[in-house]
Amino acid sequence: MSTPPKIKVATAWLGGCSGCHMSFLDLDERLIDLANLVEFTASPVTDLKEIPEVDVGIIEGAVCNEENEHILRTMRARCKILIALGDCAVTGNIPAMRNPFKLSEVVARGYVETESTQIGELPADPAVPKLLARVRPIHEFVKVDVHIPGCPPDADTIWYALTELLAGRKPKWDESNLRYD
Amino acid sequence: MKKVHLTINRKTVEAREGMTILQTARSSGIDIPTLCYLKGLSPWGGCRLCIVEIEGSAKVVPSCSTPATDGTKIITNSDRLHRLRKATLELLFSERNHICPMCAYNKGDCGLQHQGYVHGLTGVPYQYLYPNLPVDLTARYFGMDHNRCILCTRCVRACDEMEGTHTLDIAGRGQHNRVVVDLDTTFGASETCTSCGACVASCPTGALFDKAAAFRGKLNRSTQHPTICGECPVGCGLTVYVQQGRVVNVMGDLESPVNHGHLCVRGRYETWAEPRERLAHPTLRAIHQPKPVTWDEASRAIAEATRGLAPEQMALLVSPRLTHEEAKAVQALAPRFGRVGMAAGRHEAALCRVARESTSKIEDLAHADAIILLGAQPSQTHGVVAARIRTQVRKHGARLLIFQARKSDLDACAEICAHMVSLDHALWDRVGAVLRTARHPVLVYGAGAMTDDGVTVMERLIEILESNDQAQSPILLPLPEGSNSVALVAAGIEPVEDVSAWLEASPVQYLHIIAGDAPDGGAHLLREKQATAAFQSAACLVVQASYRSALSNMAHVVLPSAIWCERGGTVTNLEGRDLEFRPILPPAGEARGNQAILKEIFR
Repeated sequence: MSTPPKIKVATAWLGGCSGCHMSFLDLDERLIDLANLVEFTASPVTDLKEIPEVDVGIIEGAVCNEENEHILRTMRARCKILIALGDCAVTGNIPAMRNPFKLSEVVARGYVETESTQIGELPADPAVPKLLARVRPIHEFVKVDVHIPGCPPDADTIWYALTELLAGRKPKWDESNLRYD
Repeated sequence: MKKVHLTINRKTVEAREGMTILQTARSSGIDIPTLCYLKGLSPWGGCRLCIVEIEGSAKVVPSCSTPATDGTKIITNSDRLHRLRKATLELLFSERNHICPMCAYNKGDCGLQHQGYVHGLTGVPYQYLYPNLPVDLTARYFGMDHNRCILCTRCVRACDEMEGTHTLDIAGRGQHNRVVVDLDTTFGASETCTSCGACVASCPTGALFDKAAAFRGKLNRSTQHPTICGECPVGCGLTVYVQQGRVVNVMGDLESPVNHGHLCVRGRYETWAEPRERLAHPTLRAIHQPKPVTWDEASRAIAEATRGLAPEQMALLVSPRLTHEEAKAVQALAPRFGRVGMAAGRHEAALCRVARESTSKIEDLAHADAIILLGAQPSQTHGVVAARIRTQVRKHGARLLIFQARKSDLDACAEICAHMVSLDHALWDRVGAVLRTARHPVLVYGAGAMTDDGVTVMERLIEILESNDQAQSPILLPLPEGSNSVALVAAGIEPVEDVSAWLEASPVQYLHIIAGDAPDGGAHLLREKQATAAFQSAACLVVQASYRSALSNMAHVVLPSAIWCERGGTVTNLEGRDLEFRPILPPAGEARGNQAILKEIFR
């Protein structure tokens, strides 16, 4: 008797606070059930860096810089179903609050003018990814199959969406399971 | 009223002629989603969420502004409608910066969020616009964040139709539409905003929010308690929101027959959103420093101070805010005090006497075609009455004439303003011309009508009104200022207009002042001429009040009393309605109710 092949999942965390991954870990004992069904590959949780070919890709965070965009496009190319997890991935959310301002003003404010900064300078190391002029939700770059809003989405909401997908259904959203805050 | 019959979602329903499709549907238990509709305001038809299909027509129509007509077949819940509504919501979400996790909105029932949930909106297929929009925090009690505004105009209509000031309107075109204050200024710089907060109460999103409530948890997770406002004798109904033993907001009680949900700044904000220092313990003034003491010690100190005093050496001065029950407790002390008086404004006593006889209601203003305002400043003193006057003039064409009153915002609504007595024939001819056309005149008057000049003007006006045999006899609506002064005077408590003369009649050794929960802690009493000296002349000054003030700082003994939301009891409003304060919270710190304090001190 052979066990069915496990569904492969990768997750990535772009411009966000990691809260959505924390909320995912809030699945608590349900993580054990989930581990029986899926195999976690690249993820901030496993600390594996290279995204392999997977069934499901989960993205937390908005696209704020070139590296974010690169990871997002890689994930999209290597996964069958892409999930936008949380408000930053879905709407841009708090990272996008810089959008009404010029990038140069925002960077100067953050690195030079902040009250607690004594001698500030703008980061110039080429290893630091270049910021995009505007923070964007991920659907503005790639096709997204499932959006799970929430800041962060509750563990129950994440569990509902994942179990529906594992059962081969598209999650249904209404007042009972949606939250934007 | 003619009835019409139609079907909604294949169910036959009945409506009165003139009802809209939305009203008909809701009265038949069929919900249609809305955002810009708010019961009590005129329909706007702007948000397009309430669209419905009418059989035989390819168009969809907004149900909030389309009358229900006989024989129409209406569908409110097709897939097409759902798709269109969802598309509208997607556009609303993408247009401005609706960053829900960072929203100051605390009502917990955001209309935009709710409709997003109902329509299963998980994301928006468009690019977000991320416009750069201002946040106006210049108003004292509330802020406006244009990032969250969906241009539903509920605030504009509430300001226009409930408060009657029309401070708010919409400026700009298309994508640049924006709610503006006056001629595009800030709330802080506005000359017409009365801070009534009706705009905030009607906002379905976080665009308008109460500063003191911002980020303090959701109102729909608070407990709600009805009570009344004790700031003036209108006695508006309040809905008090409480979380963890703290008042987190105050809104108008929609069920109140007095104010129908509308409030003025005093009830809406001054009750809870103003930082004031509560008097938390009984305090004795030692040689230099005030010292907190127990109720027992305070009681003993007062017993000591009053020992051997004759009644004429003792005086008790109370606030017109006392309830009937508190007044009974005060009167029970009359044998011990030679003098028991109620602090009253100038001519309040005369006003109380006429108000006692009057059967007029504030609601009478709703039928008025001419309103005469004589010697009163309702915008300052009876905000909800001022709102009724404004709306009656602006929405229903009543003509307003103002006499013997200082300048106020109401002047802008008035056809004739005579701030001082005038013998100018041209003026009185104009007054006569206006009043001759009136059929339902209402005369609203305050203390200024009780002066010699005021009485002269009043007599002249009554003469003109009575010469108009087409008109109903004028309805007289007196506006006393003390929250319960009419009933207290009727109960036999002497109204004291000149405190220093009252005290100087014979020297007072012990003076007990019950200021109660007056927001200024009773400090207004010190504005009377020579009052400070008169109070200081008492060997023992006891101040029973809720808030620290210049008056409590003068006192030898301070007794902390409960505030409006901690008190029970009844008052009678200026219309003669008996209204009830409900105790919602326990008194803060060591404070106690006024009756309990008197019982403790003079047992």
